[in-house]
Amino acid sequence: MASSRKITLRSSDGESFEVEEAVAVESQTIKHMIEDDCADNAIPLPNVTSKILAKVIEYCKKHVDASKAEDRVNDEDLKAWDAAFIKVDQVDQATLFDLILAANYLNIKSLLDLTCQTVADMIKGNLFPVRNEWLNFTFSIANRELVLVCLTEWVAHRRLFCS
Amino acid sequence: MLICFLVTSSLSFLLLLLKSRPLKILSSRRTCFRVSLVLDRHRSPVPVRPLRLSVKEKMSPASGADNAEESKGGVSPLLDLPELALECILEKLPPDGLLSMSGVCTALRDRCRSDYFWDKHMKQKWDRVVGPSASKVWQLGLASRRDNGDSNQGKQKGLLRLFSLVWPCSWAGERINIGQDRTCSLPHDSSVMSWYIALETGRFWFPAQVYNRENGHAGFMLSCYDAELSYDFQTDTFRARYPPHGRRAMALETGVTWERLRSPPVDTSPHDLHLSDCLKDLCPGDHVEIQWRRNKEFPYGWWYGVVGHLESCDRNENYCRCLSSDAVVLEFNQYSAGSRWSRTTIDRRNHREEGNEVDGFYGGIRKLRTDDEISAWKRIWPTGLLE
Repeated sequence: MASSRKITLRSSDGESFEVEEAVAVESQTIKHMIEDDCADNAIPLPNVTSKILAKVIEYCKKHVDASKAEDRVNDEDLKAWDAAFIKVDQVDQATLFDLILAANYLNIKSLLDLTCQTVADMIKGNLFPVRNEWLNFTFSIANRELVLVCLTEWVAHRRLFCS
Repeated sequence: MLICFLVTSSLSFLLLLLKSRPLKILSSRRTCFRVSLVLDRHRSPVPVRPLRLSVKEKMSPASGADNAEESKGGVSPLLDLPELALECILEKLPPDGLLSMSGVCTALRDRCRSDYFWDKHMKQKWDRVVGPSASKVWQLGLASRRDNGDSNQGKQKGLLRLFSLVWPCSWAGERINIGQDRTCSLPHDSSVMSWYIALETGRFWFPAQVYNRENGHAGFMLSCYDAELSYDFQTDTFRARYPPHGRRAMALETGVTWERLRSPPVDTSPHDLHLSDCLKDLCPGDHVEIQWRRNKEFPYGWWYGVVGHLESCDRNENYCRCLSSDAVVLEFNQYSAGSRWSRTTIDRRNHREEGNEVDGFYGGIRKLRTDDEISAWKRIWPTGLLE
């Protein structure tokens, strides 16, 4: 039985957030702190700004609520919600990376998976702004074998001492 | 300038070696957050210095400092991430994404080449058809290429030789002919990535077995023959090379689909007799595979059959004594009842190889124990009976 105890989290810029314990323990880091009794007062999170912490709390709240509901339909709804949640941040890459750092620090596996998958999708879709002429060249080649061979040569740095 | 380059690149290589890939999950140790904060700072990945040094290395075809600066800017947010997060991102990339990222800079290259990622891709795509025998062939090939590679390295000039020692230059000394003969350009290093690429590009011909060879040739229906396979990524099918069949030359078949392949279930060469270990247990209803060849010059193929009842048995479950008799009846129900191929009998106690020049030779027998194996045969059952 989850207690309805409230936990206070304080962001790096001094803002306090009060959340239910069930939501707070989505983060393994916070969970361990609570178990170790480090959490009598507010838990300071100097690595996380208020903007990011607000988003993280929003994510955790949604997932805790979803796990309480009985019917399975919520799985697809949850996925759709996740997609909408993260889509906003595809535009703002800095926030996306801050979310990754926060998810890593707070040890929230599902959020880390979600954010990393988003970055991976961006790389796959060539949306990631990696300006490397070699990459641009290879993405434009239609012949996949040629790509594989060329990339392997590049990886072995043959180009370096062949020029 | 080259010397400077050498020094800086060796430095970066050494630095990367020192901070070699730590695959630890973010600590869930019960330390107070302040300590874990400190740990985090020290755990921040990728020393920045190699990244700056590696800017010089990124000599793209059009070269120029501006280009290198731009790429560094694009990628540094990734490299500033904690190791776990970066790993999390890389493991969600498909193989060509991984390969592309490995071409961006040294730091990413070393991560992307890691066996940890490529093991997963190998397992996902190739596990079913590439087995221990293929792995053995690969390792042997590596060893021999390494030995031959030394002679190639001698031809390289002094500084180039030094480079290839500093970096794990896996394809050093080999010219790669794109689109030409693919047999001569395989790497020396034993990374899973090289193996994956060799398989994917079709450069590596691996041993496996093909069901219903030669496009469903009636003479080979419900059989499985050893062959060497090479993948054609454009059509997602394979080319199969069958060993010579007596006087018949090596046969080549193209367009072999994934369902028609399997990795050899036993470690017996197609020219050797398989030692049957299941003879004692064979009872009516068991699914088996038996080696068969036309004559002693030909390689064996594996043929599917079912253990049947003796003629004397009335097929009553309670009174069937077939298990205790010395003779085992094998039925090949893909043939019509009158056909000479539809039945054969083997001696439970002494079976090795039996037969004659007319009916061929029946060799070792294997009992099929898993549903997967049985359904693989059932899937390729011919539509009509054979003669």
